[in-house]
Amino acid sequence: MKDVVAYVLLAAGVLLQLIAVLGLCVMRDTLDRLHCVSLAGWGTLLIGVAILVEQYFSLLGDKALLAGFLTALLGPVLVHTTARSFRIRTRGDWRAVEDYPTRERRS
Amino acid sequence: MSVWLLSAVVLVAAWIPCLGVCILATEFDALVAVELGSTLLTSVLMLLSLAFRRQPFIDLALAFVLVSIVGSLAFARMMEEDI
Repeated sequence: MKDVVAYVLLAAGVLLQLIAVLGLCVMRDTLDRLHCVSLAGWGTLLIGVAILVEQYFSLLGDKALLAGFLTALLGPVLVHTTARSFRIRTRGDWRAVEDYPTRERRS
Repeated sequence: MSVWLLSAVVLVAAWIPCLGVCILATEFDALVAVELGSTLLTSVLMLLSLAFRRQPFIDLALAFVLVSIVGSLAFARMMEEDI
């Protein structure tokens, strides 16, 4: 029973990450593609939980869960920072002000 | 070949599209592909540690999570200012 649960969690995690890679390839622009990074982070968390189920609360299981948890927790921070940088690079500022001068107009 | 090792091989194969995006797409798309590839590498290291029963791989995965997040944040901040 333990192996079945671990394999189901593992399959779900790997499938999520493959869907994220597929999304990276088929999405149209950068902001669409950014969604895939967070999705892959949840896949890593599922794999960490699968290792925890397989190994119980051993040193390996604990660290796998921690790595998956950190990836899922810090992934949205990374996505937000990247999207903010992209917006500043393309629009000159991250704020949604209609008449804010863009980088092209300022230079 | 165990299921864990097979999963690691599948995720390593998933790097190939990320590499293609890195080479062919714009620089911000390449950054997104690097971030996704880092997440995949974390999963691969976790799976290898269980497949080979080697403790150092899971320490490597744990360290790589933090290093990759900090590195990607630094990349994003630098690309913001076109450095």
